[in-house]
Amino acid sequence: MDSPSMVSIRNLHFAYRRKAVFTGLSLELKPGYIYGLLGQNGTGKSTLLRNMAGFLFPAKGSIEVLGFEPGKRHPDFLQKVFLVPEDFYLPSMRIDRWVRYQASFYTSFNREQFDRNIRDFDIPPDAVLDEISYGQQKKTLISFALAVGAPLLLMDEPTNGLDILSKSQFRKVIAGAVDENKCIVISTHQVRDLDNLIDRILFIEEGKILFDQDLETISRKLTFKLSSDAAEVAGSLYQEPSLKGHAVIVANTGEEDSRPDLEMLYKAIVLDGEKINAVFSAE
Amino acid sequence: MNQTFDFGRWWMLVTMHWAENRKRYLLSLLAIGGLLTAWYGFLLTIDKYAPLNPFVQYATYYCGLYFVGCLYASMLFSGLGSKAEGIHILSVPASHLEKLLCAVFYGVILFYIVYTLVFYIVDIPMVQLANRMMSNEHRVWPGTTMPAPPMEVLNIVHSEWAPIPDKEYHLFLAGYFAVQSAFLLGSVYFARYSFIKTIVGILLFWLVFIVFTEKGVREHLPEGWTTYNFIQWNNYKINETQLHLVRLPSWVESGVIILIQYSCPFVFWFIAYIRLKEKMC
Repeated sequence: MDSPSMVSIRNLHFAYRRKAVFTGLSLELKPGYIYGLLGQNGTGKSTLLRNMAGFLFPAKGSIEVLGFEPGKRHPDFLQKVFLVPEDFYLPSMRIDRWVRYQASFYTSFNREQFDRNIRDFDIPPDAVLDEISYGQQKKTLISFALAVGAPLLLMDEPTNGLDILSKSQFRKVIAGAVDENKCIVISTHQVRDLDNLIDRILFIEEGKILFDQDLETISRKLTFKLSSDAAEVAGSLYQEPSLKGHAVIVANTGEEDSRPDLEMLYKAIVLDGEKINAVFSAE
Repeated sequence: MNQTFDFGRWWMLVTMHWAENRKRYLLSLLAIGGLLTAWYGFLLTIDKYAPLNPFVQYATYYCGLYFVGCLYASMLFSGLGSKAEGIHILSVPASHLEKLLCAVFYGVILFYIVYTLVFYIVDIPMVQLANRMMSNEHRVWPGTTMPAPPMEVLNIVHSEWAPIPDKEYHLFLAGYFAVQSAFLLGSVYFARYSFIKTIVGILLFWLVFIVFTEKGVREHLPEGWTTYNFIQWNNYKINETQLHLVRLPSWVESGVIILIQYSCPFVFWFIAYIRLKEKMC
């Protein structure tokens, strides 16, 4: 049976002064998934997250998160939804002191998990927040976000500013944090950073959801492969030249097993979304 | 748990605010104490007869209170002007009312108490020092045999040396809380340069008020009548030996005065609360 939605967005309209960002966006997010919110810069990813977290208010339409109206920013709501913004502020104090004071607001805060997370990220717990690097600050905030026990965790470009090793630590920490009651939404324009992490993809473009599928379905419906067969290349849903022929996306008709290439899929959807979506709507 | 106000949650906010800002606050208090000492030291060098008379102390106390209090109030929610700091403030799981009351607790109540304390920590020894200097060197006013009286420490409760209206109504103190609350509102309302913008806002409001009472009201009065003050009107010309005064019923008059004296902070805090609820980051 389908679990009920954790986030329900209906007919969302939002604009910055005169620049419209969303004009009727609707979306449902369910627990148990790690959503990848993918799209180019300036397509409305951060705006969508901030609307869900209650920091921006819709001009029209409605957002319901865990039964709350986010814009009211009720304390119970703020305990259950945590946003890791791309640009964040941390006060000038030691990490352990900062955690002690911040954690007192979260009844489900798990100190052991926080300690484990910052250990995994190699951050000294007695470091002073404004004396460590941006990447370390971000990892501290992510560690805290994962430990507050919020059912909905929103992360805006969390891998920005992280080095290669930290990105892999990030994937490990996130993968260990999700369960069937939690929903994690990760927004990024760096598709490769989320490889092997997300299990549902939302492609957003000019304020519209272009594509919304889970990875299992994508694997079932599409095949990602290298091909030197001219006929296959010509009949593919998307193709791009590579050193060993052509990288192509074709409809998976023979139950072939392939690993989705999110970057290629994203380009395919941006260039000809209808063709890709048609594969998913046809049974 | 109550979603509007919970004392335990509010207290957590108060302790967190202190943990995040204590260094800055302690340094600021040292700076205030240092500036007061430097100012009094300067007065002691230029005036050998009555350097720290109660009026000087009174003026020092209120000038410092207005300037520092308003500057501090304008910084209470200035973080909301930045997206990163704004999200930090708004995402703490406490209600808007608790966040506002935390700011009022630090910016209004605690600041007033601590500023007064710092003032006296500097004022009392400096007055004693002034008296010692006077008793050693200058016992009489120059060219006379009149003894220069010793300085007394200012009593801010009695305001003995205050201008006349303040002795009766404590207008400077009430005015301070009103003006400071306007700066607190400004810190929520304006994303940037809230201190300067609030000053401009207050001046504009004052200008409109003056124009309204001087022009707007006067032009609608019958011929010969003038505004005595903004709740009383008089006429000299009806009978030159008699003054005709029109005033509101005494309970309305005292009600208006009390309202002007004490209601401003509550009105501004309420507007700040509404703006805080509407704030987007």
